[in-house]
Amino acid sequence: MKAFAGRPAAGFALAVGLAAVAVGGTGLILTRHWVTPRYPAAAVLRVPAGPAVARPGPVAAPVALTIPAIGVRTALIRLGLTTSGALQVPPSASIAGWYTGSPRPGAIGPAIIAGHIDSYLGPGIFYHLSELAPGDRLFVRRADGTLAVFRVTAVRSYPKDHFPTHSVYGATPDRELRLITCGGTFDPSLRSYLSNVVVYASEIT
Amino acid sequence: MEFPRHIRRVIVVAVASVSLAIVPVAASASAAAVSTGWIRLAHLSPNTPAVDVYLYSFGDSSAQLVLRHVGYGDVSPYEAVTAGEYTVAMRAAGASAATKPVLSASVDVVAGDAFTVAGLGPESALRLQVLRDDLRTPPDKALVRVIQASLHEHLVTVSYGGTVLAASLAFGSVSSYQPVSAPAAPVRIEAVGVDVASSVTLAAGSVHTLVVLDKANGVTVDNLLDAAGSAVAPAGGVGTGLGGAAPRGPASPLPWVAVIVAGALIALAGRLRLRRLPRPRT
Repeated sequence: MKAFAGRPAAGFALAVGLAAVAVGGTGLILTRHWVTPRYPAAAVLRVPAGPAVARPGPVAAPVALTIPAIGVRTALIRLGLTTSGALQVPPSASIAGWYTGSPRPGAIGPAIIAGHIDSYLGPGIFYHLSELAPGDRLFVRRADGTLAVFRVTAVRSYPKDHFPTHSVYGATPDRELRLITCGGTFDPSLRSYLSNVVVYASEIT
Repeated sequence: MEFPRHIRRVIVVAVASVSLAIVPVAASASAAAVSTGWIRLAHLSPNTPAVDVYLYSFGDSSAQLVLRHVGYGDVSPYEAVTAGEYTVAMRAAGASAATKPVLSASVDVVAGDAFTVAGLGPESALRLQVLRDDLRTPPDKALVRVIQASLHEHLVTVSYGGTVLAASLAFGSVSSYQPVSAPAAPVRIEAVGVDVASSVTLAAGSVHTLVVLDKANGVTVDNLLDAAGSAVAPAGGVGTGLGGAAPRGPASPLPWVAVIVAGALIALAGRLRLRRLPRPRT
């Protein structure tokens, strides 16, 4: 009798052990970031072609952004301001947006494009933005099919509570572009990053 | 604490190389964004024939930029240049670059600032004036100034909507920038026997120069866009991240690995015990 009494216990131990392995494995998978976003596409992403015109006078609204260096290709939605006066952000982490209160890309002044570094689940469209370097090219397609080509001049990171409003949004005498995303430390209690990464670029004429 | 000499030497070298590695990175990052300024060139002397305008980096005898056959009323686009001393020289159109310039002026281009170098006044008293162009607009306003380059009308009063931008501005002079808030309004040029109106748009966040110019019969106004920015600058930083890809230091994989290992051991023990125990007969 005693020998038989051990069998359910052993079977239970086997079941519990296997369940623990399954739970541990699932936990391990869910808490890792399998970060292999679009970056590998950089090598195959084609440089956009089209009439690249830096012309005086009105330019059409932007519709798409391509950054071959970090494998980004995205349509551009329109962004305004929130009720508190902050810049709206795209509702999805996989698309970037142009601030309609800023100049159009290719017009005089700094055009503003913002995109997420990540969503709740993983990398967003601007996950690799901070890896851009001076000299990298940015391509903005406009509604009339024309292309504005920009060259990165600087990549900077600022604490959000010391955001340099004038250097980012202030008037410039030439045609510029700013790309904005988050960076630095993520504060889980605020559910927010503590810094912003800003890429400065000028149009190539 | 006393270290033996060779260990002290190693520490010094290590500290030095770390600081050497850090300092240039920080320096180059801040230099990249702020080391350029802008310059543009203008011919605003009504009775002076066309000129060739040369831009030299100070001390360099070969021109960085040459604008040929610049006539009255011509204003070049801004040229982004490395901050530093520059010389602007004017020669008669077509004259050799080796000839002595008719006029020259030096400009100290400050990083992040914009400058207009304009030929102003009558031909007999032509001068090159260096104007500093403002790039900081007050919130929700445009900035505008007036250059009086009309020889027909020696004194003009220029207003934008109800705002007087320049009262009795003399030929060859420049008003200071003024903030205005109406996005579009008529510009009026008043002088003796003249009252010209035309509509211009001065959007919030932008900087303009209105140039009063002679035309065949009377005067006209040229609206130059000096600079533009966001009409309303968004407040504060931008919330472009939700943390799904944020590095998480403390959330190490070890607890999960421990659970897996423990589970595997328990399962193995159970399996071994099951093997050893005889199967019940029914």
